Amino acid sequence: MYELKPMTDRVKKIREKYRNARPKVDINRYRLVTEFYMNNPQLTGILKRAKNLRNLFENMPVHINEDEVIVGWQGASYRCCALYPETSFNWFMKELRDGTIPKREQDPYDIDPEDEKYLLETGDFWDKNSMSAITDEYMPRYHRDNMIGNGVLFFGAKDNCQSPVGHFVANFWTATQKGFGAIQKEAEDKMRQLEEDGIYGDSIYKYNFYRAVSIVSEGLIHWSERYGAECERLAEKETNPERKAELLRMADSLNWIMKNPCRNFHDAVQCIYLYQLSMCMDGQQHGISYGRVDQYLGHYYEQDIANGTITPEYAQEILDLFYLKVAECNKIWSEGATKSGPGYTSGQLMTLGGTDKDGNDATNAVTYMMLQSAGRLVLHDPPQALRIHDGTPDELWEAAIETTKLCGGVPTFESDKVIVPALMKRGIPLEDARNYCLNGCVEPSVGGYEWAQPGGTGTESYLNIANAFLLAINNGTNPMRFPGGPAPKQTGPATGYLYEMTSMDQVLEAVRTQFDFFCKWQISCINAWEYVAAFHNPLPMVSATLEGCMENGKDCQAGGAKYNSTGNSCIGLGNVADSLNIIDYVCFREKIATTRELYDAIMANWEGYEELRQIINGRVPRYGNGDPEADKYVDFTASAYANAINRGTGPRGRFSAGCYPVTANVIFGWFTWATPDGRKFGEALADGISNVQGMDKNGPVSFINSVLNFDQSEYGNGTLCNMKFHPTALKGAGGNAKLRAVMQSYFDGGGMELQLNVVSSDTLRDAQAHPENYKDLVVRVAGFSAYFVEVFKGCQDDLIRRTEMGL
Amino acid sequence: MEEKVLTGKLYDIQGFSVQDGPGVRTTAFLKGCPLRCPWCHSPESQAFYPQLSWISMRCQGTELCKSRCLEACTKGALELGDTREDAVSGAEIQMVHVKRDICDNCGECAEVCYPGALFICGKDYTVEELVKRLLQDKRFYERSGGGVTISGGEALCQPEFVLAVLKRLKEEGIHTALDTTGFAAWSVVEKVMPYVDLFLYDLKHMDSEKHKAVTAVPNEPILENARKIAAAGGKMQVRIPVIPMFNNDEANIRKTAEFCKELGDAIEVIQLLPYHNMGVTKYLRISDEPVAEATTPSDEFMQKLKRIMEEYGLPVTIH
Repeated sequence: MYELKPMTDRVKKIREKYRNARPKVDINRYRLVTEFYMNNPQLTGILKRAKNLRNLFENMPVHINEDEVIVGWQGASYRCCALYPETSFNWFMKELRDGTIPKREQDPYDIDPEDEKYLLETGDFWDKNSMSAITDEYMPRYHRDNMIGNGVLFFGAKDNCQSPVGHFVANFWTATQKGFGAIQKEAEDKMRQLEEDGIYGDSIYKYNFYRAVSIVSEGLIHWSERYGAECERLAEKETNPERKAELLRMADSLNWIMKNPCRNFHDAVQCIYLYQLSMCMDGQQHGISYGRVDQYLGHYYEQDIANGTITPEYAQEILDLFYLKVAECNKIWSEGATKSGPGYTSGQLMTLGGTDKDGNDATNAVTYMMLQSAGRLVLHDPPQALRIHDGTPDELWEAAIETTKLCGGVPTFESDKVIVPALMKRGIPLEDARNYCLNGCVEPSVGGYEWAQPGGTGTESYLNIANAFLLAINNGTNPMRFPGGPAPKQTGPATGYLYEMTSMDQVLEAVRTQFDFFCKWQISCINAWEYVAAFHNPLPMVSATLEGCMENGKDCQAGGAKYNSTGNSCIGLGNVADSLNIIDYVCFREKIATTRELYDAIMANWEGYEELRQIINGRVPRYGNGDPEADKYVDFTASAYANAINRGTGPRGRFSAGCYPVTANVIFGWFTWATPDGRKFGEALADGISNVQGMDKNGPVSFINSVLNFDQSEYGNGTLCNMKFHPTALKGAGGNAKLRAVMQSYFDGGGMELQLNVVSSDTLRDAQAHPENYKDLVVRVAGFSAYFVEVFKGCQDDLIRRTEMGL
Repeated sequence: MEEKVLTGKLYDIQGFSVQDGPGVRTTAFLKGCPLRCPWCHSPESQAFYPQLSWISMRCQGTELCKSRCLEACTKGALELGDTREDAVSGAEIQMVHVKRDICDNCGECAEVCYPGALFICGKDYTVEELVKRLLQDKRFYERSGGGVTISGGEALCQPEFVLAVLKRLKEEGIHTALDTTGFAAWSVVEKVMPYVDLFLYDLKHMDSEKHKAVTAVPNEPILENARKIAAAGGKMQVRIPVIPMFNNDEANIRKTAEFCKELGDAIEVIQLLPYHNMGVTKYLRISDEPVAEATTPSDEFMQKLKRIMEEYGLPVTIH
């Protein structure tokens, strides 16, 4: 029987504080960065970024909250968020001027009037100085002149860098085991060597890179020591002898780590937290992930237990406190972006389980401790991803399933069997591929070794393939017209109209043409951004540990890492697959309607065509039911997209396809015209790699049989598969074993990732009506979990609509 | 000469069946049953012929569908019925009503009811059609130690079809369970037995008179078949639906336990199934006659029955 051990009182207290604190905007970082940029126009490129970060390390307030053991923060008040104007700030200024930030439906933040005043006075500086402004200048000419309004690409007329880089994993082994004192020394040695030899050829690039690494390493050590000094100051005042001793231990740790290799479990936890935070301060919090936390910490824990220098209870408490610190991390997003990632999530994903480089099970004591913390704290953040392989211990399966029942979607289940080969397809050798972790939501990469840029632009660069499909049957024109907007114009290739097409082959050819065209432009636009980012937004703090960068003398953004790739994700797979099947069934095989009638029905948003819509929804075999006939276009759709993306290359390396819409399927649905699958304008697109909502009627086994109809190993950037089980389906002694068998069957068949909610729709409806009774109900939303009562209603409804498997 | 293709009549196929036998199973529900248990939670399983079924929740209203079903019915068996409030829009929906005394289950209305509020329950499958469908889920059987359950109705009322399906499944190496009332000729049971890995065997009452009064058939063939299965080395999970005011008295439970004891090693487990009322609304899908509803036995009461049976050294679970 799986057991949750009780939390300590101070953990309970902090958790309570976390759940009750209303997030606010903290402008400490903003002020320092803005002044630094305003005062230093002579600094550019990597030195600007390095010195900007050092300035933060030296001047950010060091603030330690009561009861904390793991310390560090990017602001001065609890659960606040920092601002990152260097990326993009127009959206923030607009919302600030509109006064909506404290009032918005999703993820509101308070702002102090004084701070607001300062922001209003200075914010417009960023209008011409942000990455967005620079990126806009560099967008390809053709895109700017001919493609606005296509509805397929994430890139638009302006503000093309709304989110930061994010979605990377540093090498925490190097950070904990080598320390930044040694890294700085290495950088200094390299510089001296170049100075001695002469900085000839392209070694000037290396020279400046080492210079930046030296600056940020020194800064990071200094930052840690400032926290150490603060602990000493607090210890002096502390009257409780136990806490006083603890504060002194904390000071000792903070004065040691970062510069030196970690000595014990406490050092290592503090080190990975502070290093992670330093990268958030540099590159923003946006799915910057932790990687394989149990692998960094396991040996320290075992050594301390063997030495008798720590008790399991205290170690678990430290881990709890660490999790609460990560949970505290907030990042303000634009109101629009918030709708695709609701519920105050920063996406600092942690990976656990999996194998070592030889394929042996890598589970250790910390693996279980991580699940214990997630389960007993009932936290949606940090998200947890469990790597499953054939040797995953029964006990770990049991602990993971029990945890996901307590905390929806925590952990997610990731299959080594598919992910390792998928990574090998992008050129990573077996031994390193086995060291993969998950980034952000579900994106696999080799943490610490690979610059995988899973979001392409650094943000979620989604491709709306439902719209690409609409362009395919509408001669390259997006049928959607904004009220009062100009008439839609042709933005994609002229592939003809559905009513001119006389065979499925013609339809498929048109779809493939659009997919190829838009994937080409997606990749081209991302590469335009890569060009800008390599100079204007290098990331020396992560590059300091990332395998390959020091050796190559090159920042990760410029291609210094050992492995390089760029990711992408499509949205609307289920809609396109079903739409193709419906055209085939309705127009060509059963001749229920002509292509003209179906075309007219779609263009009319089904108005006047209700009977046809009902036939499509009620009579046509649909994707998601294990019906091979209905599923036959899934593979076509998935392959057409993946092939077009996987062919792409960037300045650093290859592109990698994915399908993980997060909740952007809801948002993109608002801007996608009616589709042949009976969907009306504005309705959500299909979730993850799933079928159109509510169309799977034969239970989880048939659903899985359908989903397994395309090759997920071509989706190296991750797939996302949500399943919701009714709790009664898993009751009884064998319930967990049966659930496990279902998951394993999915993985055997080539499934990559599964995330489960074990909750009934009745419970969710009740939670919608009585949020006060469900404050701690965590559900998996998409690529992340959230407190159900904290997500917007459209997303709540989408969760309820997802088919409930069982009984 | 035209060769007659063997078909069976099913009313449902359910994947992820986790309550009927070991592991994850797919259950094929065959239509038609000689018993008439009033607590039956699948009333659509009883008749041997296809039936017009009606699910009010799916009806989108005559305004939206332009009363297609009413127009399609040439027998005059449909009329306007109740109204209900649409859950999403809040609008009032005019539904239809099936006049059961006139309806001959021809299915003309179901043809045009696209949302499937009206549909024909009962579909013929050839052996290969069914086996192909069941094999789709093979990977789940393998991972979970599951397989296929043939259920009903009373599947043994379609003996040739069941035999052919079971044979094919065994050829494919699939674990098979037969969920049965046990009310069949021994000659039928004997034939299928070599292809059945596990019987899910219902025992409803030990007194034949009472059995007949309530379920419409006596219990002697049922008990006799159970003995013969046990004697022939068959394995069974005995299932006892616990029905208030019918079979839940201590005397009957003790007699049932004694009988099970007699079956010896054949019994893997005895499952006590507390009555539930989830089938009640299903009756209204196929008739206007509501069915009597009983109260669900308490956990405490179920535990008591379990303890009584355990006194006989039997393995008992509450399902």
